[in-house]
Amino acid sequence: MQTLVLKYLFSCLLLFSLSSFTAANSKLPEPPTGILQLDAYQAPPIILTDIDGLKFNLNETKGHWVFVHFWASWCGPCRKEMPAIQKMWDKLKTQGLKISLINTAEDEDTVFNFLGIYAPNIRGLMDRDGQVTEKWKPRGLPATYLVDPAGQVQYQALGGRAWDAPTYLNFIKKLIK
Amino acid sequence: MTIKTNFFLLTTITLSISCLLISTNVLAESKKRYQFTNKEISVRVTPRSPQQMAAFYEGRGFSKKMINALIQPCFFTVGIHNKTSDILWHDLSTWKFTNNNGEIKNLNRSYWTNKWEKMKIPLAHQSTFRWTLLPEKLDFRSNEHEGGNIILPYSINKFTLKAAFKTKKDKSGKLITIKIENIQCKR
Repeated sequence: MQTLVLKYLFSCLLLFSLSSFTAANSKLPEPPTGILQLDAYQAPPIILTDIDGLKFNLNETKGHWVFVHFWASWCGPCRKEMPAIQKMWDKLKTQGLKISLINTAEDEDTVFNFLGIYAPNIRGLMDRDGQVTEKWKPRGLPATYLVDPAGQVQYQALGGRAWDAPTYLNFIKKLIK
Repeated sequence: MTIKTNFFLLTTITLSISCLLISTNVLAESKKRYQFTNKEISVRVTPRSPQQMAAFYEGRGFSKKMINALIQPCFFTVGIHNKTSDILWHDLSTWKFTNNNGEIKNLNRSYWTNKWEKMKIPLAHQSTFRWTLLPEKLDFRSNEHEGGNIILPYSINKFTLKAAFKTKKDKSGKLITIKIENIQCKR
């Protein structure tokens, strides 16, 4: 009984914090060049495993901003952008940001080799048949979205961005503070 | 120097010059592209040879039967840059490809999806293939660059590409038109 009450209280608290976030939504910061502020919409689901078989579910990141990124090893701009994502992540991972780095339709060997070189400290997720990527309908690859703590897609980046540059770092810092 | 040595030297020099000329020509050929550019838009069309496409898709692990289907038609990599300060609307269905025999229909996503389904191609390869194609519709934002491949049935004839792009958020702005002539399939 006591557990049930606790669960109920926790759910109320989570709902309250998410609804407070939604109410404060209009105060979102102006994005820098190359990032579009969208008419917010519910993020399509992401339930994937990483190279080691560990599960990631976007729903379980509620309460945090999530950096959702789609890439493929054959895409030139992805290779250029990935080191910047690694540097950004090194600076912000302890500040509450979550990341979902999704490879589109490639195999483990390719992903392992690529991330080993370009982003060795980020957990890469495997969209083995490309169907999760399809649901997000990116404009192209690479594609990055910023999902708010209520699970709404608020921003989309146009092409690759220098995420480790102060402009972008400060923008994300404003979101997660 | 003996006559034999002289002959050897002459042959070597001739061969080296020939190789240099051939490789320069190959380089020039591989860099051949067609372009339309003005202050509002830049559209670049680069023909790709069957060898280039086969190498690219083999590198992605595509099966032989998929590669065989992909080396028959003509591939062109298209890059579009919106240089306006507003939205530029791309709609591939409005692109017209014509040669002396009339209009050429591009082999669009539905064509390939049907083909891959019939051939029972794995979803992963279908997905990768789709991501290499030029989007069918896109609202290009100011200064945005995007690109991808378009595929036409093989023809030895040169063709003309005409396309139109609406502008502004409500598509009420100036219609931007482009025309690129004498485009040729690379074989």
